[in-house]
Amino acid sequence: MRPGYIWAVITKEARDLLANRLLLAAVVFPALVFASIPTAIVAFIELNELDPAQMGQIEQYLSQFPGLEPKRAAQGFIVLNFMAYFLLIPAMVPMAIATQSVIGEKTARSLEPQLATPMEVSELLIGKAISSAIPAILATWAVYVLYGFVNGAITEPVMTRLIFNDVWRVAMLTLVPLICLLSVMLGIIVSSRVNDARTAQQIGGFIVIPVIGVAVAGFFSGQATFSMEQVIIGDLVVALLIGLSLVIGNWVFDRESILTRLG
Amino acid sequence: MIESIGLGKRFRSLTAVHDLSFTVGDGEIFGLLGPNGAGKTTTVRMLSGLIAPSAGAARINGHELGAGSQRIRAMTGILTEAPGLHDKLTARQNLAYYGRLYGLRGAALRRAVDRYLGVVGLPDAGERRVGGFSKGMRQKVAIARALLHEPEVIYLDEPTSGLDPSAAKLVRDFVATLRDAGRSIVVCTHNLDEAERLCDRIGIMRGTLLQVDTPARLRRRNGTAVVRVELVGARRPDSFLGLLAGLRFVVGARADGDALLVEVGDPRGDNPELVRALVDAGARIVHLTEEAISLEQVYLDLVGETGERDADRSGLVA
Repeated sequence: MRPGYIWAVITKEARDLLANRLLLAAVVFPALVFASIPTAIVAFIELNELDPAQMGQIEQYLSQFPGLEPKRAAQGFIVLNFMAYFLLIPAMVPMAIATQSVIGEKTARSLEPQLATPMEVSELLIGKAISSAIPAILATWAVYVLYGFVNGAITEPVMTRLIFNDVWRVAMLTLVPLICLLSVMLGIIVSSRVNDARTAQQIGGFIVIPVIGVAVAGFFSGQATFSMEQVIIGDLVVALLIGLSLVIGNWVFDRESILTRLG
Repeated sequence: MIESIGLGKRFRSLTAVHDLSFTVGDGEIFGLLGPNGAGKTTTVRMLSGLIAPSAGAARINGHELGAGSQRIRAMTGILTEAPGLHDKLTARQNLAYYGRLYGLRGAALRRAVDRYLGVVGLPDAGERRVGGFSKGMRQKVAIARALLHEPEVIYLDEPTSGLDPSAAKLVRDFVATLRDAGRSIVVCTHNLDEAERLCDRIGIMRGTLLQVDTPARLRRRNGTAVVRVELVGARRPDSFLGLLAGLRFVVGARADGDALLVEVGDPRGDNPELVRALVDAGARIVHLTEEAISLEQVYLDLVGETGERDADRSGLVA
């Protein structure tokens, strides 16, 4: 594995992404949407009084924040519960970039000249994987930080401390990059088999189902956020899936089958 | 030097190329002619280390395909059938990317990019995105990309496709200078005129090589040339046929109006003897020309009028 080749691919892909405004919007827009919805709810609660008649119905949620007054506890529950949807960003965005990258190369027939260089297929794949994952990781982290400070500014600094808790810091540093890599690998595998980006993204879109499932289950169970154990189990499961996808990716993305599929 | 020894490629049950043996020397341009699906692209992909052969072997400047494929790719420049450029990048960024992949760095990379943008006539278009380029300009960038790292072995698939006549000539002239610099060059083309102008030898291919020779020799059907001898004077051309039948180097002869059509094996050696014999016998010769059979006719005779390979009938595809 030669870093020079991987770096050449990363810089080329970065230039490609920066020149592609639509794809760049696809990186930033979902992250902002996922952060805006709970922030808007928090702001709404801040500006209005909670109906005492409804307090009983949400008591089980509020009891998870014993040190906070009911209004702050309700806001705390909202900001933490919605954070599960942050995992949709690393699940969706790298997939869009990776599929666009591979399908775009297939359409432009630019894979053959690259594969004709001394670069190995694995170096090309790693370069593409890193360059697809990094924008999503950075977007998720940036929105996470922004989310913490904006909600703290709307309410009180305690909200920022709630958002930047140990569990979510670990999740951001481990689970988010791992989900990004899994999403990229699935994007590359699907893209090597189909010839248009829309089909690839529709097939690859199934990756978001487990993430949405986790978020919805969290909401209905009344659990405000993940526990550290759940994050670590999530890390292990996703790492296992990445290992599996690497094996499949190496099998489907070999030099010869790609060239012969291109015709 | 390129040496192909019984090279073959099967894709599952389909044979794309079989029993392919030829050599391309240093400082030689070898043309691969053949219809669509003849296996030209598969051959180039095998020889450039992109795909593994199913049979046979090949050596590129002494490196065996397989174990030495990475080194072979490093010393090879390839112009693919489609330019395959990155549309969002500028011409300079495209070339710089490939330069890095071929190991060029820093000032050497910048010099190579500048030089080849100039060679292909795009010195002022380097900062423009190739997505906005014409077909000809894209082809020029792709040619520059193939040559950027000064490869010892070069494969060019339809190098003048999409180029106007003056740009096509520029490319042909440049390819000739590469030959003069000792590079081994393989040109895949459907353009018979280009093959004849550019190539030292031509291989006509349909799954395997049907015939390999210089363009001049290919045009001589059965290895012979037909010489037309225009006569004047009282004697009729057919009166010389008996004389010609007695000359050992004459393969065949017939009269055609005021001319004789004489088939000989080696025009350069035989024509002076032919002229001497006819003049000694009293013939008054106005002029003598070699009857040219077009390369197109030779090609069509070898691959058939339909051109495309019939996969169903032969079980062969590219």
